Amino acid sequence: MAVSDLSMSVIKGTIHGLIGPNGAGKSTVFNLIPGVLPLTQGEIRFKGERISGLRPSEVCRRGIARTFQATTLFREYTVFQNVLVAAHRLAAPGLGSALVWSRTYRGREQAARERARTLLAALNLAAVADEVAGSLPHRDQKALVLAMALATGAELVILDEPMAGLAAQEKDATTEALRGLRREGLTILLVEHDMRAVMGVCDTITVLDHGVRIAEGTPREIQENPAVIEAYLGVEDPGA
Amino acid sequence: MSIDLLVQALLNGFGLAMVYVLVALGLTLIFSILEVINFAHGEFYMLGGYVTYYVFAVFGLNYFATLGVAIMVVGLAGVVAERLVFRHLRHKTLNAFIVSLGLLWVLQASAQLSFGVLDKPVPSAFSGIVRGFGVIMSMERLVVTLSAIVLIVALYLFLKWSGPGRAMRAVAQDADAAALQGVNIELVSALGFGIGCALAGGAGALLAPVFAVSPAMGALPVVKAFIIIIVGGMGSLPGAVLGGLLLGCVEGIGSLFMGSAAVNVLGFLMVIVVLLVRPRGLLGA
Amino acid sequence: MPSAAARPAVGFALLALAGLALPLFTRDAYHLDVATTMAMNLSLTMGLRLQMSTGQINMAHISFMGIGAYTSALLVTRVGLSFWATLWIAAGVAAACAVLIGSLALRVSGPYYFLISFAFSEVVRLFFNNFFEDLFGGPSGLVGIPKPTPLPGLGLAVEGKLELYYLMLVLFLLAAVVFIRLEYSRFGLVASTIRQADLLAETLGVNVFRHKLATFVLGSLVAGLAGAFFVHSHQVLHSSDFGLEPMVLLVVFTVIGGTGSVWGPVVGTILLGVAVEFLRQLGHYETLVLGGVLMLTMLFAPEGLIALPGKVARRVRHRRTRKAATAVGVGLAP
Repeated sequence: MAVSDLSMSVIKGTIHGLIGPNGAGKSTVFNLIPGVLPLTQGEIRFKGERISGLRPSEVCRRGIARTFQATTLFREYTVFQNVLVAAHRLAAPGLGSALVWSRTYRGREQAARERARTLLAALNLAAVADEVAGSLPHRDQKALVLAMALATGAELVILDEPMAGLAAQEKDATTEALRGLRREGLTILLVEHDMRAVMGVCDTITVLDHGVRIAEGTPREIQENPAVIEAYLGVEDPGA
Repeated sequence: MSIDLLVQALLNGFGLAMVYVLVALGLTLIFSILEVINFAHGEFYMLGGYVTYYVFAVFGLNYFATLGVAIMVVGLAGVVAERLVFRHLRHKTLNAFIVSLGLLWVLQASAQLSFGVLDKPVPSAFSGIVRGFGVIMSMERLVVTLSAIVLIVALYLFLKWSGPGRAMRAVAQDADAAALQGVNIELVSALGFGIGCALAGGAGALLAPVFAVSPAMGALPVVKAFIIIIVGGMGSLPGAVLGGLLLGCVEGIGSLFMGSAAVNVLGFLMVIVVLLVRPRGLLGA
Repeated sequence: MPSAAARPAVGFALLALAGLALPLFTRDAYHLDVATTMAMNLSLTMGLRLQMSTGQINMAHISFMGIGAYTSALLVTRVGLSFWATLWIAAGVAAACAVLIGSLALRVSGPYYFLISFAFSEVVRLFFNNFFEDLFGGPSGLVGIPKPTPLPGLGLAVEGKLELYYLMLVLFLLAAVVFIRLEYSRFGLVASTIRQADLLAETLGVNVFRHKLATFVLGSLVAGLAGAFFVHSHQVLHSSDFGLEPMVLLVVFTVIGGTGSVWGPVVGTILLGVAVEFLRQLGHYETLVLGGVLMLTMLFAPEGLIALPGKVARRVRHRRTRKAATAVGVGLAP
């Protein structure tokens, strides 16, 4: 779905939510920011620099990581290998040093491995570190996806439905984890359908409907905003 | 360079291209339904050629009846190949390609062992020359071209108006949706593969009197077919016809300026250009 | 992971030892020929496999062998350069062509990439077969290409079967070091992710295009090297040496061995290379058997022979955990 009128700023160190009825264009926004979809009009800036038009690997390099809605993982690799790959931004050497295994290369690889282990422990995945990612239960896959986004060392993490398919307890755990990440200085932008979770954890919320921004503000302001209520209710109850 | 010469060259190219379009249609039909690229497609063409040799040249059956026999025999062989091999590889394009390479070797070696390596000549079914509008065409080539066009039209009508044909188009568009609507995917898959091979067999039968029959005769047509479907768009049947027309023109005109071996390069260059500028082909999805 | 560094070194050492020790067991000219061809094919299949790990089936791989071969042959016969120079120039020319062709071909992926690489391979073959006949020999090819001159500095003659075998073995071992090193490094780790989920890899900071191009150019460089060796050991050159038939054979060796591991093509090339020698006596049955083996492998063991031990081990472990679970269940049953 195309996005036609959106102007949004995400403030560093906050959790920013993006919500809206189905088909509002949220996934499109999430594909535009990392450069997966090309931007036809306007621009996207990050830390003062223009990132629209860059290829996704470059956008990641600048410090933005994203997760995918369907738990996209490297299914043939183990959990540990997945996180190790995700640390690419911090490790990445070129062909040359991968060949020669220079001291810099080995140092960075060692750091990447330690970082991976730390993250797995923090997200309760240490027990399944050597399991093949494709065989994990859903909640572990969700945790792995988050671990990978964090492994990049990015300052802005874009989460696509981090709570989808999780039980209430697991959602609370995720919410706590997000708060902890905010305390550490991470900036989070997320798309979610679970309103309770969104209202509970976000500092700012932007509401999208049919590709257009219809509201932005604190959770309280959004809950009381008539345009938002109509956008959601309008979809559910056309006759009312 | 006279207009007559140009038109003659175009006509020659066009005539042959129509037969290659048959092969290409078979290939693209199979790709659109099963999402596999059958590299052994040329071997079914070759089979059609051998059926023609034994039924028409050796046994002496009427040519058009032989054409019918070849189409049915090769179609049946296609169904067998689908049931035994390709049904397990639906939508696994790269695996299927490698398996089809193996099948190519198996069929080719079987042909060499069963029929011998030497060319088997097939006599012309039609003699004489047709003249008109300043150009010349042998009766044989004319019949071959017209038969190919008839088969292409028959395929179009079958796909557009018949029940199985519509089912095949539904599966080609969206296999899951078709299954939900009650289409028997296994049947469509087998039928599609069979018809695809039948088209190749028919092409082999048509060109048997023109080029002689040998185990390796399928190599060139299948390459032409690949060129045609890439240019026209994989999975697009009108694309195959358009691609064939283009190839026929390019090769026809090219043959005026360079030897036949060099003309083959033109087709590949077309492929490279298309894949770089518009990878899905002229009419591809 | 303590054993992570050990495995590649051990594997390489075994290969090197086996290769170096072979002439102790046989000096028969035919056997050495087979071994030399096998070493050459190993260089080619390992490179092909690196490319396949990123999801590319590069049908033009053999074309770069051809480019290296023609480059070296012409530089030696027409310009008078020494083989020891043209060997590396040929590799460089092949690599340069690979940068050009790869940059174009890698703009597409999947079956489109396979088809465009096939188109390129035919263009190259037809180019050498039909154009510039006074240079490339046309359909008759080139003949009378000299063997390598004695090794400069040491003055070692490299004309006999044994010396040529050692030369190819050294070239292969050099290539193997590179391929094995890369496989166990981040480069290799990332390569397979491109095949599994290339969009995810890209958003994690992997420049997928550059990575694929690197594998393409590296494989082509080694192929160019092999081509230069090939032409001076065979002394005749024909465009059919770089056509679909030998290319398909390389694919067969690589795929049956298994593309999931750097050792897959080693297993496939050696086992099938030996098998082909036995099958050769069967004439057309050789093609039949190879084709059948390829089909059966892809249908029942698509990950190749190298993956079989792992699969068996997993099946055994799965059965063991199931037995244990049943035992526990029995204990807990009321």
